[in-house]
Amino acid sequence: MSRNLIAIRTLENDEINHLISLGADFKSRIRAGEAVPRLDRKVIGMLFFENSTRTRVSFEQAAFYLGMRSSNFSTSSSSMTKGETLKDTILTLRYERLDGLVMRHRASGAPVLAARHFGGPVLNAGDGQHEHPTQALADALTIIESKGKIEGLTVAIVGDVEHSRVARSNAWLLDKLGADVRLVGPKTLIPTRTARLPGTFYYDLEEGIDQADVIITLRLQKERMKEGMVSSAGEYASMYQVNSESLRFAKRDCIVMHPGPINRGIELDDYTADGSHSVIHHQIENGVFVRMAAIYHCFGGGEA
Amino acid sequence: MRSLLRNGRILDPSQNLDIIGSVLIEDDQVIEVGENVDQSHLDEVYDCTGLWICPGLVDPHVHLREPGDEHKETIITGTQAAAAGGYTTICCMPNTNPPLDNPALVDFILDRAASPEAGGVFVAPVGALTKGLEGTELTNLSAMKRAGIVAASDEGFPIQNSLMMSRAMEMCKQLDIPIMAHCDDLGLSKGGTMNDGAMSAMLGLKGIPRTAEEIATMRNCILSLDIGCPTHIMRVSSWGAVEMIRLVKSLGAPVTCEVTPMHFVFTEDNIGEFDTRFKITPPLRTKIDIELLVQGLQDGTIDCIASDHSPHASHEVDVPFEDAPFGAATLECTLGAALTYLTHRGVLSPLETIRKMSTNPAMILGLDAGTLRPGETPVAQITVVDPEIEWTFDRHKTFSKSKNTPFHRMEFKGKCMLTFCGSEVYRDALFNEERYSILV
Repeated sequence: MSRNLIAIRTLENDEINHLISLGADFKSRIRAGEAVPRLDRKVIGMLFFENSTRTRVSFEQAAFYLGMRSSNFSTSSSSMTKGETLKDTILTLRYERLDGLVMRHRASGAPVLAARHFGGPVLNAGDGQHEHPTQALADALTIIESKGKIEGLTVAIVGDVEHSRVARSNAWLLDKLGADVRLVGPKTLIPTRTARLPGTFYYDLEEGIDQADVIITLRLQKERMKEGMVSSAGEYASMYQVNSESLRFAKRDCIVMHPGPINRGIELDDYTADGSHSVIHHQIENGVFVRMAAIYHCFGGGEA
Repeated sequence: MRSLLRNGRILDPSQNLDIIGSVLIEDDQVIEVGENVDQSHLDEVYDCTGLWICPGLVDPHVHLREPGDEHKETIITGTQAAAAGGYTTICCMPNTNPPLDNPALVDFILDRAASPEAGGVFVAPVGALTKGLEGTELTNLSAMKRAGIVAASDEGFPIQNSLMMSRAMEMCKQLDIPIMAHCDDLGLSKGGTMNDGAMSAMLGLKGIPRTAEEIATMRNCILSLDIGCPTHIMRVSSWGAVEMIRLVKSLGAPVTCEVTPMHFVFTEDNIGEFDTRFKITPPLRTKIDIELLVQGLQDGTIDCIASDHSPHASHEVDVPFEDAPFGAATLECTLGAALTYLTHRGVLSPLETIRKMSTNPAMILGLDAGTLRPGETPVAQITVVDPEIEWTFDRHKTFSKSKNTPFHRMEFKGKCMLTFCGSEVYRDALFNEERYSILV
């Protein structure tokens, strides 16, 4: 049975746990040079309507390890620039007999539409400000590797929550698996009405990361300054930068994460980005393995 | 030709009439209304036992899309849909392509509406307030008034500059043309696609705050109070806007307003997983807003129920949520929604329902409509409603060209059975033909 992976919000806990442990299993096998299941002769389309290097490479790596061929499709080289609707692009790829799609799109909810017209497995690689489910799975695996569990941990997600699909997917996943989720940022970058998002809101960094086990920092887009949501990068850094100083409020063994790309000196200083608290490199590596798990799962794979 | 609508419940808000009686039509005119009307020399009889006989419904807010967007709707299909929805007069909005900002286009619309293929209902054009709906230069309003506009509006492109709006109001006051105002502070609502709230936070969609509607409503109300220009606030959705309109009405401002069925039936929750059929402007809000809209309907703060019929082609709405246009095709189910969600729930009496769908919009826009009084309308305009009939709205069985409606497959209680507009008679497919007899 083929499945879609569009949002963490709509997943059951069993499915989330299965994806994380499958990712861990693939990781140990690949590292040990053992065989993993293969999806030979399957072709997966990589539809990146929005620029991305790291996520696309990560999905391509995952597909490669599973023995699949990936077919690239980016906006600059596609017929989208010729005015084709998303529906028609998806239908074209469907009748070109692609077996599955990985899709990134600037519009929240675009993969819902793609899944309706494609019929087969569709994996969301980030849709607008909605969700980025595989990033949350990679982060969850990274947390479990460091802390042994998720339940009972205090996790602070710091930064531009309003515009972050990473924040949403992480908040859903960590809340579902029993963490105490805190969303920390300036009032202009936190949704005004939050009742349907899990987590508690903090506008003060020190309070928000107080006794935290995990800090997930978010990228600050330059547009936020233009839109008047943040006065300057310096002002933001002085209030919300996770650095050697502010880190003292978190637990001593706190881990620091970032989905990348990092604005060094804004969200993080060198000490936190490169020091012993940082697990950023593990997040990147784990991304490949949870994406293998996600593809395998969506293509109907059972026990691996 | 003498036709009798016999033994129905006559609901005429213009005379506060709610009696069981009959209506006599001779040729295309209402001759007599009452408990005992002359029944001699009849040619045909419609037995209206158990049905309501009302003045033809008037819709103050319809998008006919012609000229320019004939793939969404035309004047012909739109007027046919109107007749099927129980309307005998509809006001068409100026946001066509090109916009309705000059007398020649007014003539064009009136000509098309009078063509034999059209639905036979009256079309009352609403002219643009500013040239090209650009908010910078007033249109030639007096010339357009002579050509036949009944109101002026920049519709979904509301004038942002308050000085410009006050000039427009002064001019419209002098010319005795009401302004229809869509209230939106475009700075606050920029880029937004749904109500700014818990749902938008969850779906990662940019929100439109209620303050965008409320600030613009308040500004227009204050200007109307100061200048004395009759101002009709279109599609009120936020409870705060209802409160402000109630306040300025109590201060004597010549302000009126309307609500659409979307806003009293649905909330932001209906958007679910990015369902573009629920992308409406102003956005669908919350339960509290519906409660306050209902209260506003009951106490008379809200004067009219308008369809805001906004047809769009299927390919235009089968896109990601933020790319979809706002609006829904509603001409053929607004009466059903009003009867089901307001009348049968005891929010509005039958007479008040018809007042808000006929007499009030006619009065606000200065139309010769909204009454059964003989001689007060150019031709007979009568809608016969079966208030009890249960039916399911099917978007594939409509006269409208467009199928973008959130009411698809919804069950309603109450439907228009007959629409008389002069010698044009629309009969609904559910009308029981046994009620009709030809006398020889």
